[in-house]
Amino acid sequence: MSDAILKLEDVCYLYADGTRALDGCSLAIRRGARTAVLGANGAGKTTMFLHLNGILRPTAGRVLCEGTPLDYSRNGMRRLRSRVGMVFQNPDSQLFSASVREDVSFGPMNMGLPEAAVRQRVEEALCAVGMTDSAEKPVHNLSYGQKKRVCIAGVLAMQPEIVVLDEPMAGLDAAMQEELTTILEKLHSGGMTIVVATHDLDFAYGWADESVVMEAGRLLAHGPPAEILRRGEVQSTLGAAPLVEEITRSLSLIGIDLRGKGYLPRSRKELLKAISEYAGQEGRA
Amino acid sequence: MLTEQSAYSNRWRRVSPIAKGFFSLCGTIAAFAAGSPRTALLIALILAAATICGAGIPPLRYLRVAAPALLFLAASCLSLVFSLDFAGTAGAPAIHPATAEFPRIAQVCSRSLACLTALLFLSLTTPLPDIITLLRRCKLPDTLLDLMVLCYRTLFVLSEAVHETITAQSARLGYASFRLSLRSLGSLLANLTVQVWQRSQSLHLAALARNNDGALRFLESSHANASKSISIAAGAGALMIALAVTLP
Repeated sequence: MSDAILKLEDVCYLYADGTRALDGCSLAIRRGARTAVLGANGAGKTTMFLHLNGILRPTAGRVLCEGTPLDYSRNGMRRLRSRVGMVFQNPDSQLFSASVREDVSFGPMNMGLPEAAVRQRVEEALCAVGMTDSAEKPVHNLSYGQKKRVCIAGVLAMQPEIVVLDEPMAGLDAAMQEELTTILEKLHSGGMTIVVATHDLDFAYGWADESVVMEAGRLLAHGPPAEILRRGEVQSTLGAAPLVEEITRSLSLIGIDLRGKGYLPRSRKELLKAISEYAGQEGRA
Repeated sequence: MLTEQSAYSNRWRRVSPIAKGFFSLCGTIAAFAAGSPRTALLIALILAAATICGAGIPPLRYLRVAAPALLFLAASCLSLVFSLDFAGTAGAPAIHPATAEFPRIAQVCSRSLACLTALLFLSLTTPLPDIITLLRRCKLPDTLLDLMVLCYRTLFVLSEAVHETITAQSARLGYASFRLSLRSLGSLLANLTVQVWQRSQSLHLAALARNNDGALRFLESSHANASKSISIAAGAGALMIALAVTLP
C-alpha cells in the first residue's frame, strides 16, 4: 500500500514474563484514514499501539513510518512522538499536572517550542475538545469524560499527524461518546489519521474507514468494516455482529431487502433513514 | 481538602503568586521583627484579616484549617510554660510553671502564631500549581519540584482509589468486625502498593509518549496586572515590617 503512513511488518513482541503479545503482526495504516482496531481483551491492541509510538520496540519484525524503519535513537523518538500522538485508556494514568492548562502544555513544552507558540497550541487544543472554559480548573475536579478530553487536548497540542487512541469510549456515557465521536470527526476532516482501539462494534462499523481485527496477537482481518465485520469468523471471534448489520439481515428475512434496494446502512441513523425511504417507495408502489 | 477548596475559590485566586508569596514572606519577616508579643499578635491579626476579609475566606473555614496547627502550637506553648517534676516529695509528680521565662515564651508563641498566619495566607489563597511555579522561579531544584507535582496529582488519584476500595470492601462486609477491619485494611494497603507501582509505570509511559526526556515542563500560568499586584504586595508587606519594627 503506497499511501501507508505507518506500517508493521511481521512484528512480534514478547513481554518479560514470556507472554507473546504480538505474533507476526503485519498492518498498514493508511494516511488520512479512520482505522478501528477490534479484538478481545489481551488480543494485543495496546501492545501494537505502543509500537506505533515507539514506546515498545519489536522483538522481531519492524515498524516503518512513511516507508522508513523507525529510528529508536533519542532524536528519532522525539521526531516520531511529535508525529504520532497517543491517548491512553485511563486518563488518570496520563494526566500529570493538577491544572488542565498546564497538563495540555506538557507535550509542546517537551518539544522545546517557544512559550508563545505553546500558549497558542494549548488554547487551540482546548478549543478543539471544548474545554476552554475549564482550562483553569484542577484536573481532579473534572468528570471522567472531561479528563478524557483533556488527554486528547494534551496530544492535539503537539499537532501530530496521527492520533492513536486506546479505547477512548470506555467508561463514557452515550452523550459523551457522541461528543467524542464529533471531536474525532472534526480531527479527521482536518486531515488527521486516526487509529482507535475499541470494543464497540457499532461504533467501528459506523465510523471507521478501515477495521482491523486482532486475535491472540495476530491480525485476523483488515479491510472496510462493511466487508470485514460481516464475516462469520470475525463475528465469532468478536462474539457479536454490528447491530445495524443484524437488523438489516433480519429485515431481509421478512422480505424487507434494504441491500437489494441499494441501501448499505452503517449507523443507526442511516438504518432509520433507509427504512423510512424503503417504506415510502413500497407505499408508492 | 478545605485548603484546596479555598485556594481555588478565593477572591485573590487570579492574583500573581509572586505578589502573594512576597506578602507572606513579609509577614514572616515582620513576625520575627516584632519586638513584643503584642506586636506579633497584631501582625497575626493583620495577616488573618487579609486572608478572611481580603481574599474572602469564610472565618469558620479559616479556623477549621488552622485548628490542627493551632492545637500543635498550644501543646508546644503549654509544654514550655509548665514542666513536670518527678523528683518531688512522696514520689508524686509536681507541675512547675516557668514563671521567669513567661516573657520569652510569650514572644516565641506569638511569633509562631504570626508565622502560621503568614503561611495560611499563602496556602489558602494560592493553588499548589501556582506555589510550585513560584518555587520554580525561586530556582528550587527541578527534581524536588517534579516530585511535588507528581505527589500532588497522585494524592488525588490515590485518595479516589482508597475511597473506591473501602466502598467495595464495606459492601462485602469487610469492616463488619474489628478482626475483619484489620484484615481489610491490610489488603487495602497491599492493593495500594501494587496500584502505586502500576500507576508509576503508566505515568512513565504516558510521559514518554509525549516526548518527555526527564524534567517535567509545564507552561507557567499567566496573571493579569502582575507587576501592579507585586507593587501593592510589596508596599503592604513593607508597611507590615515597618509596623513590627517601630512598635514597642
